[in-house]
Parts: sequence; structure tokens; C-alpha cells
Amino acid sequence: MRLTRRDFTKAALVGGAGLSLGFPAFLRRAAAADPIRIGVPTVLSGGNAQYGLQAKRACELFAKDIKAKGGILGRPVEFIFEDTASDPATAVRKAQKLVEKDGVKFLTGIVLSSEALAVSAKCPEWKVLFMSSFTGVGALTAAKFNRYSFRPNTSGPMGARTVSLYLGESPMKRVYGLGSDYAWGRDSVGSFGRQMTAAKKEMVGQDFPPVGTKDFASYIAKVKQSKAEGCFLVLVGQDASIFFKQAAQFGLNREVKLVTEILELENLKAAGDVMTGVTGGSRYPFTLDTPKNRDWVKRFFEMHNVWPDMFDGETYQACEWLTQAIAAAGADDVEKVIAALEDSTYEGPEGKRTMRKCDHQAVKAGWVVEAVKDPKYPHLVPKILATYPGERVTPKCLTEEFA
Amino acid sequence: MRRSLPLAAVALLAALPWLLARHQLSILTELLVFGIFAMSLDLLMGYTGMVSFGHAAYFGLGAYGSALCLIQWAPPLPLALAAGALLAAAVAAPVGYLCTRSSGIYFGMLTLAFAQLLYTVAFKWRDVTGGSDGLTGVPKTAFWPGGPSTAGPYAYYFLVLVVFAAAFAACRGLVGSPFGRALQAIRENERKFATLGQDPRRLKVIVFAVAAFVAGLAGALSAPFRGFASPELMFWVLSGQALMMVIIGGLGTLVGPVLGAAIFLLLQEVVSSYTEHWMLLNGAIFVVMVIFFPGGLVGTLRRWSAR
Amino acid sequence: MSPAIVVEQLLNAVALSALLFLVSVGLSLVFGILRVVNFAHGMFYMLGAYFGFTLAARSGSFWLALVLAPPLVGLVGAALESSTLRFIYDRPPIYQVLLTFGLSLMLEECVRIGWGATALSVDAPAWLRGSVALGGTVFPAYRLFLIAVGGLVGAGLWLFLKTTRAGLVIRAVAQNAEMADCLGTDVRRVRTAVFGLACALAGLGGVVAAPMLSAYLGMGISVIVDAFVVVVIGGLGSIGGSMVGSLIVGAAQTWGGFFFSEVAMAIMYAVMAAILVFRPWGLFGEEE
Repeated sequence: MRLTRRDFTKAALVGGAGLSLGFPAFLRRAAAADPIRIGVPTVLSGGNAQYGLQAKRACELFAKDIKAKGGILGRPVEFIFEDTASDPATAVRKAQKLVEKDGVKFLTGIVLSSEALAVSAKCPEWKVLFMSSFTGVGALTAAKFNRYSFRPNTSGPMGARTVSLYLGESPMKRVYGLGSDYAWGRDSVGSFGRQMTAAKKEMVGQDFPPVGTKDFASYIAKVKQSKAEGCFLVLVGQDASIFFKQAAQFGLNREVKLVTEILELENLKAAGDVMTGVTGGSRYPFTLDTPKNRDWVKRFFEMHNVWPDMFDGETYQACEWLTQAIAAAGADDVEKVIAALEDSTYEGPEGKRTMRKCDHQAVKAGWVVEAVKDPKYPHLVPKILATYPGERVTPKCLTEEFA
Repeated sequence: MRRSLPLAAVALLAALPWLLARHQLSILTELLVFGIFAMSLDLLMGYTGMVSFGHAAYFGLGAYGSALCLIQWAPPLPLALAAGALLAAAVAAPVGYLCTRSSGIYFGMLTLAFAQLLYTVAFKWRDVTGGSDGLTGVPKTAFWPGGPSTAGPYAYYFLVLVVFAAAFAACRGLVGSPFGRALQAIRENERKFATLGQDPRRLKVIVFAVAAFVAGLAGALSAPFRGFASPELMFWVLSGQALMMVIIGGLGTLVGPVLGAAIFLLLQEVVSSYTEHWMLLNGAIFVVMVIFFPGGLVGTLRRWSAR
Repeated sequence: MSPAIVVEQLLNAVALSALLFLVSVGLSLVFGILRVVNFAHGMFYMLGAYFGFTLAARSGSFWLALVLAPPLVGLVGAALESSTLRFIYDRPPIYQVLLTFGLSLMLEECVRIGWGATALSVDAPAWLRGSVALGGTVFPAYRLFLIAVGGLVGAGLWLFLKTTRAGLVIRAVAQNAEMADCLGTDVRRVRTAVFGLACALAGLGGVVAAPMLSAYLGMGISVIVDAFVVVVIGGLGSIGGSMVGSLIVGAAQTWGGFFFSEVAMAIMYAVMAAILVFRPWGLFGEEE
């Protein structure tokens, strides 16, 4: 008797739920697949939510711009956002949902390098194109390369390279490396260390605080202890802002020159004036003084009432490049778009880039900036100290090494 | 009649793929995997009365075991599954031996401590586990040497279904056997059991390792399914979710935890498309269950049908 | 290693210990008196931080937040205890643990609904924002404040339990609830009051932690495991034990992070496991 009910309940629940979930799918298939759908599995909660916000802002501005132009191939562009909460497993699951349930063929706006690697590994199986805009880890266009993934943005090794070239010209001899303990942090600090050694400088120590570290006291003490002259920072999101605040509280910024791989507006806003004088690399400095960029920045500010941060710029340009390729391919067929992207050139607000066919890494310039006070803005802004051409800062094909 | 109903349920599950869209099939596959995981915890909690707060560690170990195996040697999938499950059991044996020195809440805290320790090892041992990034690109290989690949969604679902059915049958057999009855006697009154001449601790260690084996099997199935293994699979949050599945479904019923896993995952899936605050509903259901329906869904149904 | 660094690290360790103490002493009390392992304890810490954020933002005064937030958190805790936990004291202890676990999930989600998913920064009062020159190094004034709060609360709590009548009643219930009940104590009210007090202490921890760590959603989850380690080491039910446990764990995390940053966490869990295996009631707890 009991067996009957129990097993019936079990079968009914499973079957019923399955069917009830199945119905919307049938209906969905019947509707027209008209818009070009771009999936954005990004971070909308937690300590890195500011990045997801940037991805959203950029996509919103782009959606508005592309709508004004009448869409791509006569079809509207639709962005679908999902929250991955900085977890690679969730990122895969959400990306899978975007691909299987929402039928997207293009993914962008993935924040963490660990998330990007996990999703990128599945792209060949799903036959979906991943257009990175945040991903720093070198392996995406080296050891873990697959032809469905593209990186139009600056990579970690490229950022480390830019900073190394700059520091190479300085008299600094002893440097410390502090990176968030995951793909990007580890990779960039490692790359920086190799380049410093090649430049005859000494890496006196390195540390990798876990993502989400809130108290850097011990790390700061270690940097002081090491008597380093400079400290290369590869810290993600809020961790970076907190670090700068605490570094000031412990007086580290007066003893050691703080140089970060990416000097973000978010850090400048959160940590405030204590960051004056901090230098670092930038993937997209909004203060770039060209007519095209000034125009884009103005439009961005009009829509969002904030000045664009690094990834606002990178994500917008990734979307623009991607849709440019879709238009060139004549259809949103992934194989054709891949062919259209390879060896293509794109000119965005920041300037010209070319997409290498061999490893799908874009060759683009690198900037070193310094945080300065500017009365025109309510917070510190990045002033460009040096510009390095793409050929000097992009690694050799499929590697993380430089000529 | 009694025999054919479980078979009917399995037959229904086998027929479902043709009725479901690809996305729903993925959910169903995940549901079965977590069903195995929840079932394994029920062996410990429901039948032996040992409440573990660190059971996810063995799920994670299973995932890492099969992931490493598949990435390195790409053997037929069942071998990788065995590797994952055995790794979980091998680690669980000494851990279980140490944990069973205590009982009750201290046992629970010990399992938590060991699970966190394993999590930290997985997190920091980058060379082997990939650290916080985890292991990516875990392939789905063949059913047997030279056989068809498990790579398609249907193929993998059937593999999971077969393993699920086998695990369910095995657990059923275990709890019905003399060993199983001894476990339940330990749950009822451990001291009295000890006076009967047997060593309860030995049996507890064995069931701890067996439960870890089954949990490891579930984890081993999840790695190729997601193409991914990460330290989060060992974190105590997942252990807590497993506890929820067992309690909601029904402690000590085996099929209850499977239903509990189904409810948990379906709630997550369905409610999260309307609101991101599905955990509030989940938590509320859980709290209500704990206070008013400690027997869970199946336990309560059973009591009503017995009246 | 220069003396300046030693001083800095020692102070860091004690500041961390102070924060851990504020959280774990409540956990320890709840176990000692109610015999419940409160998985939701970390969530009250988090509530304290968020209440503190809102109070400070609305009133512009951190001190107001410091004074008002903990009692508010305490009230929430007391309300939850009397409406849910109270009904299942007679069940096997595992159900109480599971209930608090379920409550913790709901609480976290409520915070997410109420305040959103991004971290919120709280400003310390102006005179605590700077740094103090100490022994050749510069140390944040706020962390010194943290140490002071931890010490004061510890001393105050000890005095309360040892010298006041209410403290006597609480200790009586801890020793033998049935007897205390026979002697006329309203055991139910004592339990609710203690639970509320414990939550208020956790909330206080949250308020003082917020300017340093900001108010963020993962707070509850990350602090509860640390608190468990402290309480296991120090002993469930002992205030002195919580203090010693906090000092040990604070030192282990600070110095471990300095010398063995890769394995520091693992060492702590290994120590926790070892103590549970050989002395499950902790260093200062009572053998059961």
C-alpha cells in the first residue's frame, strides 16, 4: 500500500514538473526568433557587482545606439542578463540556460577570468561565440584557446607588460606582487614577475589574498617588511578599493609606490583622495583626448550620469565589434561571424584594433595612468602618463611571452 | 505489483527526454544527480542517525576524482565515475574513523571541520585542483571502451538514469539487509545496541564510507555534465542544501530525499525566473517542515496513508 | 623582523580577536544556556552591520547606530526565538540546528531584499578615521577602538553574569533548567532573553565591523565558520573560553597569514578537528 503511494508521488512529481516546464518551451519555439540575442552572464551581486553594472551600462548605451541605426541586418539586438554571483559553476549554468533556453548564440560581459575559462571551455560544445570584455587571464588566448572565444580587450599579461615597460624605465629595483587568488591575479603577477626579472629588477615577494578578502592588514605588514620600493597590485573589484583604503590607514602608500594593473574609477571613487599619485595600467582611460572618444564619453554621461569606467568602454567596444562582424558576415551564423572577426579591424572610441586570427587576441595600445585631482570631475581621474603601441604590448601568438 | 511500481517510475523517467526541451532535460539530469547525493546523506542521517554538516566534501571529491581522471586519461566514463566514488570513500574512511569518536552535535561539528579543511586544500592546491578557478574542460567520454559517446544530452541523461536506478536499488537493498537493520538499531538507541555485543562504531565508520562513496558517485557524475569541478562543491553551503533536501523530502525514506532534491531544484529553477529571492521561499518551506512536518513530505504522506 | 612590524601584527591580531569575540561569545552563550548551536548567528552579525548602515546614514551619527542597532538586532532575535525555536526544544537537538540553518537562509535573503546585493560602506566617526603613530609604525585608530570595545564587552558580560541577579538566574538555568523552573524561574523567558542578548552581541560585532569591512552579504557566512572554530577551541558555554579562543584564532589568522599565507586556513581547521577529536568540549567547556 505505502509503496504504491510513495512511488506514484515520486513519478507524478517528476513527470508533472517536467511537463509543466515543457509547455512554455513549446510556445516559445512557435514565436518568431527575430532579434539577435546576446547573452550577458555577468556579476550582478556581491563584491564584484560594480563590474556587472558596467557591463549593463555599456550594453544599454549600445542597444540605444544600435536601435537608432535600425539594428543589425534589419533585426533588433536584444541583451539578456543573468547573475553569476562571481561563481564559475553558476556562470556555466547560467550560460547554459542562456544558450539552451533563450537561444543566444553570442555571449559577452563575463566578469571573472575563472568564470570566463569555464564558460569558454563549453563554447565549442554549444557552438556559441564568446566575445570577452573583462577577461584578463592569458590562457584564454594561449593554453586554453579555442576558436569560439575572442578577446578584443587588454589581457592581464598585456597590462603587466605595459606596467613593466613603464617601471623598466624607472630607477626602482625591488618590487612586490599582490594578486587576487584566482586565474587573473595569479597569471598577471606571474607575468609581471617574469618581465621584471628580464628587466633586471627583483621581485622580493608575492602574495595572493583570496577573492573577497576584507582585511589586508597582514598582507600590508608583509609588504612593509619586505622593504620593497614598489608594489604591483592585481586585485579585483572591491578588494582593490578596500586595499587602497587600508594601505592608507597603515601608511603603506607613503613607504611604497603602489602600482596597479588596472586603475579603475570605482577604486578612485570608493577610496577617495588617498589614491592621489597611485599609478597603474588602464584598459580604457576615459580621459583619452580624441574627438571620437570625447563624443562617446559625453553620450555615456548623458545616459548614465556617471563617467565611464574601464569596462564600460571595453564592453561597449566589444559589442560594437561583434555586431560589426555579424553585419559583415551577413547572418548571425556563428561560423560565419568567426570568419568575419578573424583578422578584422575595428575603430572604436579608444582607437584602432586588429583581431589576430592565430589566437583571437586583439592587438591594441596600452596606457599607463596616474590618479590626479581635476576640478572638472567629482572624483580623481586617470591622467595618461604614457602610451605604448599594440605591437609592443601584445604577446606572441598563443603565448603569454613577449618578444 | 510492488516490484513493478519502481520499474514504472524508472520507465517514466526514461520516456521523459522525448517530452522535454533541451533545457528541461539538463534540469532533470541535475535533479537525478542531486537525488543520488541526497539519498547518500539519508543513509547517514535517516537510517543511522548521524547528522553530517560536511557531506558536500565527498560530493566534491567525487567531482575532482572523475574530472582529474577524465582530463588526464579520458577513460570510458564508468571508470571515471568509479575513480571519483572511490576517492571519496578513501578519504571518508579515516575521516569517519576520527569523527565517530564523538557523537551528536560534536560529530556534526567535526564533519564540518574536516569538510572545511578539504575545501581549503582544494582551494589552495592550485597545481592539482586548479585552485579557486577549478578544473575546466572535463570531457564526456564513451560508455565503454570503443562504445558510443556520452556526449549528447540524451546519452548523458541515460547514463545518469542508469546510475541513479542502480544506486537507488543498492541503497534499498542495504537498508533492508541485516546491516541496514543494525544501523537503524544504532539510531534508535546506540547504548543498547552496544550491549548486544557488536561495536556500533565499526558499523558507523562503514556507513560513513558507503555514504561518501554514493555521494562521490553523484559528484563524479556532475563533473563531466558541467564540464567543470570547483572547490565550491565542497563548501558547507552545499552540505546545508543537502540537509534541506533530506528534511524536506523525508528523513529515513530514501525516496524522500530524492523528492526533496527535486523540489529544491525545481523551486530554484521555477521561482528564480520570477524573482531572484527564491531562497526566501525555500528557507520558509524548510523552516515550516522542521517545525510542523519533521517527517518531511514522504514521512507525512506515509503517516496519513497509514491512518 | 623589525619591532615596528611586530607591534603592528600584535595589534592586528588583537583587533581581529576582539571582533571574533563579539560574535562567538553569543554563540557560546546560546549553546551553554539553550543547548542550541545557532547556525543563524552569523546573520545577526550581518543584520547589525546593515542596521548600523541605515541608522548611521539616516542620522549622520555612527554613535547612534552603535547604541541603537544591537538592541534592535536583539529584538529580532528574541522574536524569532519565541516564535519558532521555542516550540521544538523538546525535540532531538538536530532539529534546532536545522531550524536555525533555515532561519539563516531566510535572514540572508531578507537582507538582500532590504538592502540590495552590493556592499555598503559605513563611515567611522571622524576622529577615528585617522591613524595613530605607534612604536615606529602607523596604525589605524579604528582598530584600536575595536580592541577597546571587545575588552569592555567581555568585562561587562563577565561582571553581569557573576554579580547581578539576572546573571545568577541565567547561570542557574544553564546548570539545571528543570530545577530552576521548579524554583519559580520563568525558564522560557530566560531562554528568549539570552537568545536576544546573544543576537544583540553579534549585532554589536556587526556594527563595529562595518566601518572596517563594510556591510556585505557574505558577512554572515564567512564569520560563522570562524565563530565555530573559536567556540570549539574555547569551549561551548564559556565566556572566558570564547575570549581565549578568539585570541588564539585571531593570532593564528594574523601570524599564519604573515608566515604561511598559503596554508594558514588549513592549519586552523586542522587544529579545530584535533581539539574536537581529543577534547570535544573545548579547552574551557564542561565535559558532557
